[in-house]
Amino acid sequence: MKYGIVALILSLSLLMGCSDVLERTPQGSITLENFFKDGEQAEQSINAVYNQLRSFQVHVFPFIGMTDIVSDDAEKGSVPGDANYLQELDEFTHGPSNNGPTGVWAGYYDGIFRANLAIERIPTVPEMDEDLRARLIAEARFLRGHYYFNLVRWFGDVVLITTPFPETNLMARAPLEDVYAQIISDLEFAASVLPEKSEYAAKDLGRATSGAAKSLLAKVALTRGEFANAANLAEEVINSNEYALLPTYQGIFTQAGENASESIFEVQAAAYETGGGGTQYNEVQGVRGATNLGWGFNRPSDDLIGAFELGDPRREATILYVGEILPDGSNVVQPNPDIVNPRFNQKAFVVDHPGGNGNGPGNIRIFRYADLILIASEALNETGRQAEALVYLNQIRARARGTSTRFLPDVTTTDQGQLRAAILRERRVELAMEQHRWFDLVRTNRAASVMKALGKNFVEGKHELFPIPQGDIELSLGLLEQNPGYVQ
Amino acid sequence: MQKRLLIFFAFFTLLCTCVRAQTTISGTVTDGTDALIGVSVRAIGTTSGTITDIDGKYSLSVPEGTEALGFTYLGYREIKEQIAGRTQVDILMSEATETLNEVVVVGYGIQQKSDLTGAVAVVDAQELMDIPTQNLGQALQGKVSGLQIIPTSGAPGAGAIFRIRGVGTFGDASPLFVVDGMILSDIDFINPADVANVSVLKDASATAIYGARGANGVLIITTKQGTGGGDGQVSVSAYTGTQEVSRRLDLLNATEYATIVNEIDANSGRAPRYADPESLGEGTDWQDLIFQTAPISSVQLSFQGGGDKGGFNLSTNYFSQQGIIDGSGFDRLTVRLNTSRSIKSWLRVGLNSSFIYSKSDNQNAGGILQGAYRADPITEPRDSLGNFGDTSLRGNSGNPLATQFYNYNKGQDYRGVGSAYLEADFLKHFTFRSNFGLDFSAGFNRRFSPVFFVSAAQQNEINDLNLTSSYQRNWLWENTVDYSNDFGLHHVDGLVGITYQDQFGEFVSGGRQRIQGSDPSLLYLGLGDQMTATNGNGINGGTFGVESFLGRVNYNYDGRYLLTVSARSDGSSRFGANFRRGFFPSVGLGWNISREGFWDGGELFSRMKIRSSYGVTGNDRIGQDRFTALVNSGLNAVFGSDEALNIGQTLQALANPNLRWEETTQFDFGIEMGFLSNRLLVDVDFFDKVTDGLLYRAPIPDYIGATEPFQNIAKVVNRGVELNINWRETAGKFSYSIGGNATFLDNEILSIDGEGGEFFDGGFGIGGVNSTRGVKGYPIGGFYGYELDGVFQNEDELGTFPQLGQQVIGDLRFRDRNGDGEVTAADRTLLGSPIPDLIIGVNGSIRYAGVDLNFGLTGQFGNEILNAKRASRFGTYNQETFFLDRFNGEGSSNTGPLATLAGQNVETVSSRYIESGNYIRLRSLQLGYTLPADISQKIRMQRFRVYVNGTNLLTSQEYSGYNPEVYPGGQFSSGIDRGTLYPVSRIVTFGLDASF
Repeated sequence: MKYGIVALILSLSLLMGCSDVLERTPQGSITLENFFKDGEQAEQSINAVYNQLRSFQVHVFPFIGMTDIVSDDAEKGSVPGDANYLQELDEFTHGPSNNGPTGVWAGYYDGIFRANLAIERIPTVPEMDEDLRARLIAEARFLRGHYYFNLVRWFGDVVLITTPFPETNLMARAPLEDVYAQIISDLEFAASVLPEKSEYAAKDLGRATSGAAKSLLAKVALTRGEFANAANLAEEVINSNEYALLPTYQGIFTQAGENASESIFEVQAAAYETGGGGTQYNEVQGVRGATNLGWGFNRPSDDLIGAFELGDPRREATILYVGEILPDGSNVVQPNPDIVNPRFNQKAFVVDHPGGNGNGPGNIRIFRYADLILIASEALNETGRQAEALVYLNQIRARARGTSTRFLPDVTTTDQGQLRAAILRERRVELAMEQHRWFDLVRTNRAASVMKALGKNFVEGKHELFPIPQGDIELSLGLLEQNPGYVQ
Repeated sequence: MQKRLLIFFAFFTLLCTCVRAQTTISGTVTDGTDALIGVSVRAIGTTSGTITDIDGKYSLSVPEGTEALGFTYLGYREIKEQIAGRTQVDILMSEATETLNEVVVVGYGIQQKSDLTGAVAVVDAQELMDIPTQNLGQALQGKVSGLQIIPTSGAPGAGAIFRIRGVGTFGDASPLFVVDGMILSDIDFINPADVANVSVLKDASATAIYGARGANGVLIITTKQGTGGGDGQVSVSAYTGTQEVSRRLDLLNATEYATIVNEIDANSGRAPRYADPESLGEGTDWQDLIFQTAPISSVQLSFQGGGDKGGFNLSTNYFSQQGIIDGSGFDRLTVRLNTSRSIKSWLRVGLNSSFIYSKSDNQNAGGILQGAYRADPITEPRDSLGNFGDTSLRGNSGNPLATQFYNYNKGQDYRGVGSAYLEADFLKHFTFRSNFGLDFSAGFNRRFSPVFFVSAAQQNEINDLNLTSSYQRNWLWENTVDYSNDFGLHHVDGLVGITYQDQFGEFVSGGRQRIQGSDPSLLYLGLGDQMTATNGNGINGGTFGVESFLGRVNYNYDGRYLLTVSARSDGSSRFGANFRRGFFPSVGLGWNISREGFWDGGELFSRMKIRSSYGVTGNDRIGQDRFTALVNSGLNAVFGSDEALNIGQTLQALANPNLRWEETTQFDFGIEMGFLSNRLLVDVDFFDKVTDGLLYRAPIPDYIGATEPFQNIAKVVNRGVELNINWRETAGKFSYSIGGNATFLDNEILSIDGEGGEFFDGGFGIGGVNSTRGVKGYPIGGFYGYELDGVFQNEDELGTFPQLGQQVIGDLRFRDRNGDGEVTAADRTLLGSPIPDLIIGVNGSIRYAGVDLNFGLTGQFGNEILNAKRASRFGTYNQETFFLDRFNGEGSSNTGPLATLAGQNVETVSSRYIESGNYIRLRSLQLGYTLPADISQKIRMQRFRVYVNGTNLLTSQEYSGYNPEVYPGGQFSSGIDRGTLYPVSRIVTFGLDASF
């Protein structure tokens, strides 16, 4: 009897050994091994690259600090002491641990990782529609190009990674030329493979297009001073007739203006009841206080106000003043004693929507047609084709003035220098508070003169570039070198 | 009944006699005054055995030729008595007061303490019951050398963190917990009053039998079994008391606050905001408002019974604790039933089980504490209409009272932990044991944010309800075969076994908004807006399987020369197929020198034993699926003219298929000495513990773009000395004892593998700057930063001293350590360690007649705390009075910077924020009175005792924060105080213990 019990339990116990106590299939997650198995998963991997565009780091808080607030267009806003790192950017006292550069650096490389993985794995997905395969890879390369283009403009030489799993984590910065070569290669590939905006199905509205890739190439060329190239690329897009200026300037920043004819590329956002589709872009720039429950950052500067020509209706469309009725008529902007002379970015205003302001529905306008027309104008002027440049410039002014005959007359000068100044001023007011100004100042070598004229603590040869994040310098064990002038 | 039992017994005895020629031996076991119930009696060299009944009597049939009987009883000296032809053998057992010959619970068995080759400490129920405690961790604090106990927080019902012999891993360094044979990951649920004793297994000889999970040490907890005499025993224990916060932070009052804000304004080129700071007076003391005096109480009722065939212990306990932060609380109801029974002469079965219901309210006090720190002292907590004051206007902080008021986070937990066992004796010297344990828990959490408006920065427009339901189960099946035999003076025992463990758990969560009210009776999803419904599902608490084979042999010659060899082979599902199995051997040697013929220590030097061990143990605590790359879902994108959500997912974290165990190789050498007839006992242990292949998610650069994988990255040593000294003296009615223990510890990283040999961690301050560094020569979690050298006083100094970046007058000035004329990242250094060099405990008790006085002191020395909540710049948040020390013109301060918004390097990690963690605390002080036996018997009580107890009455600490015990999370953020830890309280209770 007793041996029976002992033997029974012992043999049961040994039998357990044949079972699968040690075998565990990961629960509730697909493994990388089982991913990239069909077209649907390939598309999901690309959607995840787009997903990163909505992140706080990539196109919201640090991003606004590194584009508008740092420039002459805007001040930090909000109440003193709030998000002091943005104040440091505004005053050029930021160091290598400032949340602005460290934030975008981490956020953009996260997007690059997702793109790299898709670019590496989608070619090996068994049995999927070949057109879709090509398109998805091209979308990933477009987005990688976009990510690197902002990085290179902020930091100069950056770490260039084009594979998801590099052999070593220790890397140095790649020369600017190599980074640009990669950006151009990515964008050219995207331009040649992606459909035009009109060729996409309605359900895919908002995906990267051939026109967007060419437009970005034009901006890359302009940034690098390749004006003939920039002009050709811009005119190629213009002549594709895929895009047109909206009839009114104010219309661009409304719900109806999203993905409209003027839109070349936008970060797509939507406010669902359950969340998960919005951004905080609208919240951080929203009117601070009970009126709009925004945070009130990115205050349009006095200098920006002064940059608008008398009567330019774009000023009203760009800036929300205290006492002004909100664009949707829902309320009046209230004074706020804690903010010094409050005013807000009207282009980031959105009408009431589900889920509160943290669930912002506004698409973030990355590239609009007006930007491209001004690129064409600038590039043509630089290549001595003033007459053509004037046509483009005056298209922008004409739309802005609408039916008015008193303001914003056509520019007529054919003097290259005067015209250049006119085009750059037009860029500033047309694209104000849309996060382009800083890049324009730096690429035209005016950052030092403009910022110093405003009494900023700008150091020439230093502040044109942002510091490489101190954390990564340490984690790279010093292989990553700091930009000139920055010390931790 | 008794008669029938006797008949049965007689019959049974007869039956056995038929099988083999046997002799029956009977007798009584007492301790001189009382009968001892449940004493294990065995015929040495056979499998025959029994236990004594409620009158201390036993009757045992022994095979012919049996020479001696063995008597063992927990807490008493083991006795081996020669039969010498007698049939009546009465035994007088003496309490093992000197704890030398007591029986000690070790892994998969028990052993006489004198026969141990390993470092094992024992704490028994008596010591645990000294003070009324809320959990076992608190009860053990300061009791055992080498065991560091840190409260996780002061929140009601909060548990404790355990560290045995330092920190040997970058991950979870908690020891393994074994409760009545069931392997568990926590013991917070255990009612301390149910615990009979705790064994702390420290060295490899003791822990290697737990193999892959023994590297952080093992705590074996045995709960109270059925004993009791006569008609059994009913016991009642109860206490009730109050708690209050033991210490406050020194914050700026309204006048000081306004003065500093005015200065900031002046230094930033603005007009001062406050015309007359003095007129603001003291202002609001937010700490006063969030803290309260809170009640605590516990009632325990237990029933114990037993007999010759087994016993049972049924206990029930209700524990209730409100928090010192209003709205927080914890209630726990525990029922335990331990029962055992001899079914046949060779077969015993038993069940140890406990069922726990607990409910916890608003334990998430971080936001409230941060609010109380930051909220400006000028704003009234409520305005004249009773609305919450808007602290966001001045201080840009939430009103902590409102945070507290609108907090709704309630949890309920149900847990059943039990193990059923069977023991069968077979052949002559073998016992087979099969133990099946189950730990099942289910939790339910309800969180609700009502609609409210305090200010634009502190408001909620739409209400929001979130529920989470989860469960976790963990089963363990262990089968072992024991062998024990004596060959003359040679004793051999051994054990082999095979065990399996499997854990799985899952959660389901759901949420909705726009609930139709905020009354608790309406907080159900069905009353919310279906359009806002969200849900989730996933793994709870991890899933893993472990399969193990284990074995151990103990040999001793005449109790003089001792040898223990043990080994365990483990397989764990946490590792990839190639690295799944590990082998963990150990060997231990011991020599009871004072038992040698040549020993002549006399009464003065009455005992001397040396022992040493060496072995390997492991650690696999890294969570599941770490070797497999997993795809993260929920990375969706919006596309289309209809703004549809398109599913997106991809890889976000890297995986490492080559993960393997952490391996700890430990050497231990111990000396146990007794003096003055063992009234004075001194134990010393030296240990050297090297852990290799430490598993860690070492940060990788952000440009890699993905979360870092686990790696076997480092090698760490913990070496130290443990010292225990205990003195006991009894003189008539007067007795006293005093014991002290001390652990000297040195923790050091020996190497970091992989790229570069160092990494940084411990995100800190606004910029997430790394504040800890892992590198050869540093302790784990060592703080890393600049040394504060002063404050730039004038233009001269700006020119003379190197600057960190672009600095101005009034900025902090850091030391150029390497003397290269600049302050750069290379000038940072080790600023301190979160791991103490010395931990001490002192426990004493004095008894005279019925009066007893007990006390316990704990202390730790040599560690530092990084006071991260101070590492913020001047601004409109409120601050500590520490910020009054500031530069305000040449010569004003050389330690605090100028009050300005723009100042550089305020948030830089530096010695400015390092404080000493040294403290010594009167953990407990208790005065009790026990009624004399003759009086208590008159009121039909066996025992009646009342006491008054104080916990955390006095603390001498150098640290400025609430509590110097700061361990919020991982090893590389240990000792970093971000001001969000629930403070510990000072507790005074009144209690009584009665049994009848």
